[in-house]
Amino acid sequence: MRVGVFICHCGNNIAGTVDVAKVAEAARMMPGVAFATTYMYTCSEPGQEEIKETIKREKLDRVVVAACSPRMHEVTFRRTVEKAGLNRYFFEMANIREHCSWVGEDKALNTNKAIETIKLAVEKVKQNKPLFPAKFKINKRVLVIGGGVAGMQAALDCADGGLDVVLVEKSSSVGGMMARLDKTFPTVDCSICILGPKMVDVSQHEKINLHAYSEIEEIKGYVGNYQIKIRKKATYVDWSKCTGCGACIEKCPSRNAYDYFNFGVAPARAINIPFPQAIPKKATIDAQFCRQFIKGKCGVCAKFCPVGAINYEMKDEIVTEDVGAIIVASGYGLIDLDKLPEYGGGRYPDVISGIQYERILNASGPTSGHIERPSDHAEPKTIVFVSCAGSRDKSIGIPYCSNFCCMYIAKQAILTKDHIPDSQSYVFYIDIRSPGKGYDEFTRRAQEEYGAKYIRGRVSRIYPKGKKMVVKGADTLLGTQVEIEADLIVLATAVTATNDARTLAEKLHISYDQNGFYVESHPKLRPVETNTSGVFLAGACQGPKDIPASVSQGSAAAAKVLSIFSKDTLESDPQIARVNTNVCVGCRKCIGTCPFGAIEEQQLRDGRIVANVIETVCAGCGICSSTCPCGAIQLQHFTDNQLLAEVNALCLT
Amino acid sequence: MSYVAGKELRIVGFLCNWCSYGGADTAGVGRFKQPTDLRIIRVPCSGRVNPLFVVKALLNGADGVLVSGCHPRDCHYSDGNFYARRRLEMLKRLLPFLGIDERRFHYTWVSASEGARWKNVVTDFTKAIHNLGPLHHKEEKTE
Amino acid sequence: MTIEKLKEAARKILPEVDVVIGYRQGFDPLHATPYFMTKPEQVDQLIWNSLCVQNLCSYLPFLKGKVGVIVKGCDSRTIVQYMQEKLIVRENVKVIGVPCLRVISVKKVLAAINQQSVKEVTFEGENIVVKTPEGQKTIPLADVAPRKCVTCQLATPLQYDVLAGEGIQSNKPQDTFEETKEFEKLSLEERRAYWEKEFDRCIRCYACRNACPMCICQDKCIAESRDPHWTSQRANVTEKFMFHMIHGLHLAGRCISCEECERVCPMDIPVAKIKKKISMDLKELFGYEAGMNPDDTPPMYVFKVEEATIEEHEL
Repeated sequence: MRVGVFICHCGNNIAGTVDVAKVAEAARMMPGVAFATTYMYTCSEPGQEEIKETIKREKLDRVVVAACSPRMHEVTFRRTVEKAGLNRYFFEMANIREHCSWVGEDKALNTNKAIETIKLAVEKVKQNKPLFPAKFKINKRVLVIGGGVAGMQAALDCADGGLDVVLVEKSSSVGGMMARLDKTFPTVDCSICILGPKMVDVSQHEKINLHAYSEIEEIKGYVGNYQIKIRKKATYVDWSKCTGCGACIEKCPSRNAYDYFNFGVAPARAINIPFPQAIPKKATIDAQFCRQFIKGKCGVCAKFCPVGAINYEMKDEIVTEDVGAIIVASGYGLIDLDKLPEYGGGRYPDVISGIQYERILNASGPTSGHIERPSDHAEPKTIVFVSCAGSRDKSIGIPYCSNFCCMYIAKQAILTKDHIPDSQSYVFYIDIRSPGKGYDEFTRRAQEEYGAKYIRGRVSRIYPKGKKMVVKGADTLLGTQVEIEADLIVLATAVTATNDARTLAEKLHISYDQNGFYVESHPKLRPVETNTSGVFLAGACQGPKDIPASVSQGSAAAAKVLSIFSKDTLESDPQIARVNTNVCVGCRKCIGTCPFGAIEEQQLRDGRIVANVIETVCAGCGICSSTCPCGAIQLQHFTDNQLLAEVNALCLT
Repeated sequence: MSYVAGKELRIVGFLCNWCSYGGADTAGVGRFKQPTDLRIIRVPCSGRVNPLFVVKALLNGADGVLVSGCHPRDCHYSDGNFYARRRLEMLKRLLPFLGIDERRFHYTWVSASEGARWKNVVTDFTKAIHNLGPLHHKEEKTE
Repeated sequence: MTIEKLKEAARKILPEVDVVIGYRQGFDPLHATPYFMTKPEQVDQLIWNSLCVQNLCSYLPFLKGKVGVIVKGCDSRTIVQYMQEKLIVRENVKVIGVPCLRVISVKKVLAAINQQSVKEVTFEGENIVVKTPEGQKTIPLADVAPRKCVTCQLATPLQYDVLAGEGIQSNKPQDTFEETKEFEKLSLEERRAYWEKEFDRCIRCYACRNACPMCICQDKCIAESRDPHWTSQRANVTEKFMFHMIHGLHLAGRCISCEECERVCPMDIPVAKIKKKISMDLKELFGYEAGMNPDDTPPMYVFKVEEATIEEHEL
């Protein structure tokens, strides 16, 4: 074994507080070290050339560079030694800058620490084994979970990039939350008008296979090779026959179904098409409210359907799709009004949520765009908007800001004035968050041009008084209490994760934070990737965000997928766990503790059950290695022997 | 190999690559001065730290052992530090039963941005170990 | 009589399994020994009394096919723990439970008779009567029972397919880990000195490991391996201490307190003390007791995102 040690001056960064010459001298005496030298800037081009030449000249087979942090330059130097003909894992870095020269004050102590740090690296590198990445084929198809604007953008970009896309949407139509909006800020574009073309593109694109009214049942496999089971829920309507004519809806006698699309603003029929621009425009029966299912007697829709599409016997169907990557765009939920009783939520009919108001404003909504109060259908003249209803409130477990409420309140105040010119809107706010392009100008317009009165303060109490609702709050800029008699109250309810976000995350082996939003690889630099390779995020499932941000993430996720599919094979990182089947006793403790499900049982020819690591899924954390009682499964490059070599170098000598 | 006798004690640190090692780097970038005793062993995750590593170090000459990982919920590998937390807590309670002061083993969570906090952890732990003195007498280590 | 019911149960189960493991008289009147029965005639040799100390479940993970086994209450926790860790296929094991109030500790009996050789052993009521060359000694069983019997709550086994006798209540005090807490009252130096003295006697025979039902790695044990090389074979206290730490930590949350380890130690090292300390801590931390509920998972292999009982440590 001939280890070469290269000690970097790093200009004065190291050499200033560490006697590098002395360090090199000590390194030469270490067992296994054949050569040691110092260099001014090892990471520079000439520095790397020097290392390459020295490897050849001195016939070195392992290299230690004592310099900055490996988080800085390990990749750089691994490439250098590889170019000189060595396996890149025969290289270790000793951090004598960030952990030594920059933080220690005494030169003698620093010098000694540098020597010991190098000793650690030398002992480790002597135990290192060569590692080789494995290549595996990939299936160039992508699954997009969620047909909202982020999911549709991702699907379209992938499909336009030449990939086959499987798009799975939980409800009976694509469109998500954006399809429910009336207008979008700050342009006041009609939401469905700009979304509709995307929905049509998605349904007509030859490379996109849309499974609506479907959910993800099971995900098996790893990046490049997923097997997805999709549950196509029973609609009780044969969609291959349904023309979306709506005759069934007109005749359905059950008029008390909960309308999910309209967030319950008005009841729906048990058989329904969620909105006029729905794609697929097909009817679905909600069995919970359908008399045929509850009482066994009705059959009206079947009678009136001109093409005989109704089928009460329909069952859920499981289909399998094989894909190579997954984009999660499962969207967001909203806090229930019942959770805000202090604002009258769930208690008084005229206290509604922002999305419910949006449906009332919408010309295709249950009130045909006439603004009317739920209690008596009268037109409200005084409307109070309450910001941060639930958001930024640690006491109910929602400490974060919901991102877009300030903007939509301004929009709804503007639209209210348009619909009802003699109305007066009040907005109780804590801050106005309007960071996007044209956003601040928009919120200003609401106040200056559309007369919305913005009150900086929180609402303390809402209670009914005759036909009106009294809103008591504070105006902190004036330093007074305010009381407003309102006809209608709109709460900007907090954004939450969807109610099945956690279950979906577990199926995908991705993490979620304490609020249920999915965790990205790096909050700054990798917002659409997860720590599970092959699974990407787009849209509000990663955190509350508005439409342009969601669309951007959809495209970004598609770009990530297109880039991993740009080659025919993927290389797996060899710093993964490996099982010595001679030692494995088959206790399966590693299988149970692996966060990625990367270990499976394998039966050997002699009948013994041992563990087997799925190379492409293993992320290299080493939990299995510290769990294994017999040391059979070892995380390569951080094996027990390699780490013990470091411990022994420090303690035993 | 000996640390500088009389001035330093043997303190071994196991730092997770993604958070704590980064935090120590951040402390370095910020030039936050620390005592020199600590020797850092890099691991990919605090979940990689088998409690037996801590025991091996303490029994064989270390005067103090520090383990630091990502804050729970922030683990780069999702669950590593959850396992580490349970296993290291169990070890911390066991050590005094065997006659080893539990203050000689400390496990904590330091993120990559917490440079100042890392400086405090290292300074305070080194001070604590110096207060406790060497774990082994010189004669014991020879055979 | 329990022994008749046991023999009947064994004979009944024998045709369904490849072997039934029970007890028979050992090499001297004070010892029982595990007995592997494959033929009905062998069942006649079956015995049942307070000499039957061995935990017969230890064989189960290594036997293929269907096995019948006689278990006492303490042993039955092994079955449950094996079920938690999926180390046996429960359907392939026919468990013959036997009610038991206490066994003897051979070491304690020999101490009571001054290490003399034993000519005959009989049981009279709650006493063991030992005939030695010097005479006869009647010793109350409660005086020579091992530590585990004093606080045993499992007079009737937790798991069984057939119970050889009527289920009985234990009526014994709950284990409050008195011994562990007393030991913790000693000073740090006293504790260190105690363990260095005890471990110094260790001869790395691995009897404790081999007798332990949860130690299934056996010859793959890292205490004897070069790869990974956790401990050398040097005969000094440090290496012996390291072995016992390996053994103890690998049993954290898995030890079912059968105390076989302590029973078999030829050097009389109180190895079960360490496991009891860990069991006490894990009960406090996670409310977990090994070998009680087949649907549990040992605490070192699961986690909670919020751990109510673990505070972040300050320096």
